[in-house]
Amino acid sequence: MRRFLTGKGIFGGTILLLVIVTALFGPLLIPETWATQMDMRARLAGPSITHPLGTDQLGRDLMYRVLLGAQTSMMIAGTAVLMSLLIGLPIGVVSGYFGGWIDNVLMRLVDTLLAFPALLLALTISAVLGPNLTNTIIAIGIAFTPYLARIIRGEALRVAQMPYVEAARSVGTSDGKMILRHVLPNIMPPIIVQATISLAFAILAEAGLSFLGLGTQPPDASWGLMIQASRDYLDIAPWTALVPGAAVALTVLGLNMFGDVLRDVLDPRIA
Amino acid sequence: MTYIVNRLLSVALTLLLISVITFMVTNILPGDVAMVIMGTQSNPEALAGLRESLGLNDPLIVQYGRWILGIMTGDWGTSLVFKTAIGPLIADKVVASSLIVVMSMTIALSCAVPLGVWASVHRDKWQDNTASTTALFGVSLPDFFFGIMLILLFARYLGWFPSSGFVHPADDFLGAVRHAFLPSLALGLGLMAHLTRMTRSTMMSVLGQDFIRMARAKGLRERTVIWRCALANAIGPVITVAGLQVGYLFGSIIVIESLFNFTGMGWLTYQALLNRDIPLIQSTVFVIAAVVMLTNLIVDLLYTLIDPRIKLS
Repeated sequence: MRRFLTGKGIFGGTILLLVIVTALFGPLLIPETWATQMDMRARLAGPSITHPLGTDQLGRDLMYRVLLGAQTSMMIAGTAVLMSLLIGLPIGVVSGYFGGWIDNVLMRLVDTLLAFPALLLALTISAVLGPNLTNTIIAIGIAFTPYLARIIRGEALRVAQMPYVEAARSVGTSDGKMILRHVLPNIMPPIIVQATISLAFAILAEAGLSFLGLGTQPPDASWGLMIQASRDYLDIAPWTALVPGAAVALTVLGLNMFGDVLRDVLDPRIA
Repeated sequence: MTYIVNRLLSVALTLLLISVITFMVTNILPGDVAMVIMGTQSNPEALAGLRESLGLNDPLIVQYGRWILGIMTGDWGTSLVFKTAIGPLIADKVVASSLIVVMSMTIALSCAVPLGVWASVHRDKWQDNTASTTALFGVSLPDFFFGIMLILLFARYLGWFPSSGFVHPADDFLGAVRHAFLPSLALGLGLMAHLTRMTRSTMMSVLGQDFIRMARAKGLRERTVIWRCALANAIGPVITVAGLQVGYLFGSIIVIESLFNFTGMGWLTYQALLNRDIPLIQSTVFVIAAVVMLTNLIVDLLYTLIDPRIKLS
């Protein structure tokens, strides 16, 4: 626990905690109308007492929109990473543990998918399925799967060659039991680290997709969508881009810092 | 030699798989090429006629065969949006994008290597902290957000660089570089951050090795030890990672080129996706994946030149 208490760990952890609390409880405490209410007399207004972070082109309060956008962005990123873990974990573990032709076939497929840049894959899937919230999750989830599967396979391969696995095998442990009891628990730490870092990338991917109009769609408020909406008003109201941009940057920074510290603690081999 | 032949065979197999995946993904699109050409309100009989003449009623495998044969013989079909042959269109855009990929890679490497070396030499001091924090910020900022900031600062307020557009290098080389500068910088920042972290960590492990102590004991100047002995041994993994990042760059150019209205491969892909131009989507996605894979192959081969100890096997 003490190893978390570095400058980076405290800073990253605090930001992460704030974002998670905002995402979970923000919608309970802030009525949605506060974020959707249009004040036509205060369109593109700068920061003031009534609107601490200014307003957008429709006179909606940017502070409330950013706070409520946290939920959409975190929910999409979290579910997408969970999805890629659920698909990538079995592929990676089976590939690394069994090896042989299964490994060859699965990794050939994974390598092929890796040739597609993740964002291109996500954009294509989103365009094919039609852009909306669910499909954004599916698109990012599928795009991230090959990366996680590759890393999980490497870890499973390493663990499968450990003396304790051989010992368990020599007393007749079945493959299923071996994977559940010995392989999975031992590959978890690096996977947790990787999932944290993937979460940061997923937030960036969601922002990128929404920015291009192929991610979250209005009236859902996501950070990428807010930056996209601000493009036409940059000259007169730069804060409309700065506020959501800073929210993305801070969250991703927090996740990256936390991921770095988590790696030092959970996976000292790499550090 | 056997290694290169094996690698080329494996590349060919992966290219085939890439083409299958690209074709399959674009064929689950609701609506087809005929629908895109004639619109959703079109006469059903005319639509059926067009489908028949375009061969869309054939089994998928036949359609795929026709498409891949076309790709191999240079007949890439016609774009539905741009109404021109896809082959020359893509060739033109690849030139445009190569300019920003090369420029952003140059910007990234020329900043990342000195910064990473600087951080590793002053390990755990303020210099290291500054470089590491800068790199961490670079990884965390969305590149399009950084692009917006660059437009505001360098195009709107200072007026030093154009905020959008593309000039062909053959027409006006200086103009082309000026137009490509801001998009390249926006792309280069994220890349620079990754490479700085990589340079720092490989330099640190090299600096801890015995031959460095030996070089210092021999009385070599510190500058020679760091830049000649240590960096020469640390640069290999950095180049490899830089090569692998070409894939990341080709993902990011879609966003950055659209933001800067820079009409390259990324912009073309975006237009294809946005307008559901199925033949163009298939070709652009296939070309990008192929370029990424071939770059990885070249990096692997280059690696033996950088570090002759590595044997290809």
